[in-house]
Amino acid sequence: MMDLKQSEWVKHAVTHPIEGFEDMRWKKSGSLKIAVVIVLLFFFAQVAHASLYGFQFGQPHDKTFSIVPYFVKSVVLFAAWTIGNWAVCTLLDGEGTARNICIYSAYSLIPYIVQTYVNVFLSHILVRDEEVFMQVIEIIGVGWSAVLLFSAIRSVHQYSAGKTCMAIVMTIASMFVMLFLLVLFISLVQQIWMFVSTVWTEITYRFRVG
Amino acid sequence: MYKPEKEADDTKKRILAAMCSFAVVCGSVSAFPANAGEPYESYNYDSWGEAIPSQAGYIPDRAVSGQELGAGGFDSPSDIFFAGDGLMYIVDTKNDRIVAVDEDMTHTVRIYDSFIMPGGTETTLDKPKGIYISPYNSLMYIADSENERILVSDKSAKVIMEIKAPDDDMYNAPTFKPQRVLADKAGNIYAVLGNITTGAAMFSPEGRFIGFYGANRVQPTAEIIGNYLRELFMSENKRSRRSRSVPTGITSFDIEGDFIFTCTSSSTQRTDTVKKLNAAGKNIFADLSATFGDNVPIYDPIQNTLFAPAIVDIDISEDGCINCLDLTSGRVFQYDEECNLLFITGTKANQLGGVNTAAAVESHGDKIYVLDSTKDTITVFKETVFGAAVHKATKLYNDGYYEEALEPWYEVLRHDGNYRRANIGVASALLRKGDYKGAMKYARIADSPEIYNKAFEGYRAEFIKKHFTAIFLSFFGAVTALLILGRYRKKRRKHKKKGGTAFR
Repeated sequence: MMDLKQSEWVKHAVTHPIEGFEDMRWKKSGSLKIAVVIVLLFFFAQVAHASLYGFQFGQPHDKTFSIVPYFVKSVVLFAAWTIGNWAVCTLLDGEGTARNICIYSAYSLIPYIVQTYVNVFLSHILVRDEEVFMQVIEIIGVGWSAVLLFSAIRSVHQYSAGKTCMAIVMTIASMFVMLFLLVLFISLVQQIWMFVSTVWTEITYRFRVG
Repeated sequence: MYKPEKEADDTKKRILAAMCSFAVVCGSVSAFPANAGEPYESYNYDSWGEAIPSQAGYIPDRAVSGQELGAGGFDSPSDIFFAGDGLMYIVDTKNDRIVAVDEDMTHTVRIYDSFIMPGGTETTLDKPKGIYISPYNSLMYIADSENERILVSDKSAKVIMEIKAPDDDMYNAPTFKPQRVLADKAGNIYAVLGNITTGAAMFSPEGRFIGFYGANRVQPTAEIIGNYLRELFMSENKRSRRSRSVPTGITSFDIEGDFIFTCTSSSTQRTDTVKKLNAAGKNIFADLSATFGDNVPIYDPIQNTLFAPAIVDIDISEDGCINCLDLTSGRVFQYDEECNLLFITGTKANQLGGVNTAAAVESHGDKIYVLDSTKDTITVFKETVFGAAVHKATKLYNDGYYEEALEPWYEVLRHDGNYRRANIGVASALLRKGDYKGAMKYARIADSPEIYNKAFEGYRAEFIKKHFTAIFLSFFGAVTALLILGRYRKKRRKHKKKGGTAFR
């Protein structure tokens, strides 16, 4: 039973929201390579959504476009989710390894990514009056991904439904903690840099004067 | 310190490049007046709200002083007005007189410094601040500020009526210092009063006080909202001792048909700086997300403060354009009747084309007049060829003649390819004509997704109509191919299951 190739596992996991990830866990399947490709596609989807969207649906921010926010919104966000979930669930008797959390979470993002590409494509065909079709597709994509993500976390850690909810909430909280620490760290580095540069200015000034 | 210089340098280079290419492209085509001479660089705002170089819509023509007009030097003049009889009336405040000069501003026609009261006695002005001459009854309305009265007189200096501080319960201010006056079609008189924030005082044609008209709203800043919440829990006694939040008063106004346009020179307030009021006192611009004046406040290194625009005077030209005079930058911002920025003219400078203390603005024909109360001169700005083209196109466009406006808009684009309104105009006209492809192109340049949306809808419908057979056939072909493929794969899978190993 279930002799599937890695690429077939992707299809199986995405099309079976309840049991797909359980099966994957049981067969110890899932490929980190595919997960990396998915995250990269996630990144490209975000960029495409921002800059390749049909002009009739709004002005692209060509003049101020920067790739950094989209990198943060995709790759960094995903990394924070993975690390946060791993950190929380290790304490909460979760069975998932960091590798598996990464793979399962990436697989569950697929409907969302597909939805983004489909909508970017449709935005060049539809006009504003028909935007509702795109909204329906978006809702389906987001909902499907949410269900998959829930199922992925549940099966990767072998949790009950209630515990999964708690784990997700705590993961989000941990992501905020990470953000907070990052801000603290950046301001600290800034202050140190300020100090060093002031000292350096002072020294060079003394040399020049003296 | 370094960066702004570099930026300014960049803009200079860009303008130079634009001017060079412009000169090459159409130097021989049209006799475009060389816009050299003004002590500033013309700019406009793009759809992002950033300043970009642009062609000048008006260029300074000359500056006129009292001596040149043969009336003796002005002293702190505060208002100018172009009357229907073709004369310009200058309110020479500190000389306590009103000077009427001819249309071309070459000589003085008459100096009004004393008036004859109905009883036969003579009266003089004391620091007059504003004047209005009604096109309906040709009467002069003078805001005689220090005498605390409004004088209504005819052209031969015979006073018809004198309006003093109203003896009314509604009017409880200790002073009555008229700054500007107006009269509407029915003869009602409106006066902007100093230190009054409840709007313009309104008088009946007989001079009876009716009430206030067109007060500004208080801008809901965080501080004001916080104070309001705090006051909810205070006793009546305590509340009465606290400072009240009052709106800023009206600084100046102008009338056009049935509408009165007001402006406020408060540089801290961003709401209600310019209003268009109907007869009921309702602001028609209230729902418009338009801002007036510069987008970025001006930094003054001497006082180390930022100065937001302060619109001190407003004037509606004959074709409906709104001229707003900004005291902070000394610039005239001209808007069309829909509040789209057309041109920015002038600056703060001592050369021709600049003003020190902008006091009043007036327009007549193709000229804009800016009164400077420090230099005691009137600067005349003349419309350029580019300005005329924009005005013509804007007028046609705003009246709904999109297709007729197409040629004028092309003319504008020949002068300034960056002019956003022109791209919108061309896109709208082409859309109306059914040239969807062209409309899409210009809508994209103009950054207007709304027009692009409509143009694209038309383009798509045309495309489908044209290639219907091809689209239908390829769709049909794709569906059948998918069906055949699906059946084939199913068969193969069945085959595999049958022939494959029984166990994993």
